[in-house]
Amino acid sequence: MGLERKDDHDHEAWIEEREFTRLETVYLTVLVWLDKRLRIVDYLEILENLYYKVNMQMPKSHTEQYGLDNKFWYWYPLYALGSFSTIAYIVAAISGALLGFYYAPAATGASGDPSIAYESITMIMTDLNFGFMLRSIHRWSAQVMVAAVFLHMLRVYFTGAYKEPRELNWLIGIVLISLTLLFGYTGYLLPWDQLAFWAGQIGVEMSLSIPLIGEWVAQLIFGGFTPNPATLQRMYILHVFFLPFVVTALIAIHIAIVWMQGIAEPH
Amino acid sequence: MTGTTDNSEVRTDGGETGIVPPDDETPSWSERKERKQGLARTTYEYFERSRREDQDLRQQSDYIERDVLGFPTWPHEMIRNLALTSFFVGMIIFLAATLPPHIGAPANSGVTPPIILPDWYLYWSFGLLKLGPLNPDLALLGGQKLMADRTFGVLANLVVVGAIAIVPFLNKGSARRPVEQPFWASVGVFGVILSVTLAALSVKNLLPIDAHLTFDLTFLLPFVGAFITYAVLKSMREGYMFELNRRYYRLRPPK
Repeated sequence: MGLERKDDHDHEAWIEEREFTRLETVYLTVLVWLDKRLRIVDYLEILENLYYKVNMQMPKSHTEQYGLDNKFWYWYPLYALGSFSTIAYIVAAISGALLGFYYAPAATGASGDPSIAYESITMIMTDLNFGFMLRSIHRWSAQVMVAAVFLHMLRVYFTGAYKEPRELNWLIGIVLISLTLLFGYTGYLLPWDQLAFWAGQIGVEMSLSIPLIGEWVAQLIFGGFTPNPATLQRMYILHVFFLPFVVTALIAIHIAIVWMQGIAEPH
Repeated sequence: MTGTTDNSEVRTDGGETGIVPPDDETPSWSERKERKQGLARTTYEYFERSRREDQDLRQQSDYIERDVLGFPTWPHEMIRNLALTSFFVGMIIFLAATLPPHIGAPANSGVTPPIILPDWYLYWSFGLLKLGPLNPDLALLGGQKLMADRTFGVLANLVVVGAIAIVPFLNKGSARRPVEQPFWASVGVFGVILSVTLAALSVKNLLPIDAHLTFDLTFLLPFVGAFITYAVLKSMREGYMFELNRRYYRLRPPK
């Protein structure tokens, strides 16, 4: 109507006024509808710009800018350790998800009979096509992740990268390394072989020795005062449900902070 | 940024980034629109309107560009990492293929195995559980221990994690290299050697020496290593820093 205000950004009026074809009208209506809600034009523009920037000259690296290449080249491989642990985490997540299709965390009894969990692992290793390889990859990526995380922490310490604006990320990193070790520990218990059982025993005793709340902690995490089928069930839930969510979220925050603050200047 | 500094001097922000801004070769939105037909063209027309709308909004509000000085994660770090990823995953698969894990006997609560160990990365923590001899007897309590040995071990774990956590709040400033701060470098070496010796302590009979000697060495070696690190870095310091000082401290003056 004549009284209605027609501003520059009235896209619907613009579509009507231009007399597009039927196809174009539908397409534009959908595009406008999505863009109003999701701002997809921004992302399309980023893609567009990337497309045009591929052929451009790469920006100077930090060391080119400061002329430090001759001094500190031997530090550089150490700056990839954080990425290495993330990559190993991804490999472990993929292989672990595949292993999860075949593994059952049930134990019929700790004494005497071999448990269902143990037998599902032997099934994976002997009967399943590529099952042995899958378990091997999962285990090795976990080992490599822990090693990379340790070395990453040492690198951060010895290059002073934890300093002033980055304390928060150092603290998140400490939580992450602890959770990584917990990840490894819960995974270590899942095969439910002798080593797993007695490592579980040590864990139970450690939590029992906490003053005041020890028994409560042992009940909560291990489901009893000795390793039992409930322990295996809880370790499984920690390993495949609880820890993956928490650790993935923390890794995302950790990397996001690095992204926002930039890599700590080497030297 | 620092307009007062002479152009011939090295600038604190390192000068130009080397990023090439869009030039005449980079097509504008209208040029891109002109080359297209049909849906692509209408998309670009809408883009133009949308950009104009955004610009109007930016001019209305007090829009502030973020200014972060640091090594850019994209693309420098990411491109390097993506290149390394393929090698790295290949390494994991190679290890997995050549050294597959095996599985021991099934769990049996009736049989205690002679060796009980966690995975290697928890050896240090396991070693901390064996510090019973350090748990002090208090004369006030008539030679009784304040807490059980195993409580002491769990507490030692918390102390270690807490000590690592407070490092950035104790050590501040712009120094980056170990040689600039020999003390903190030696603290780091102390920690590394302690974790190794604790691991050796947790794996009994790893070393063919007396158990008491192993226990003493567990705490002696880290101090020795830290002392050597401190001495070496302290004596290196002056000669090593001389060359760097000229450039480095001009770029980032010490606080």
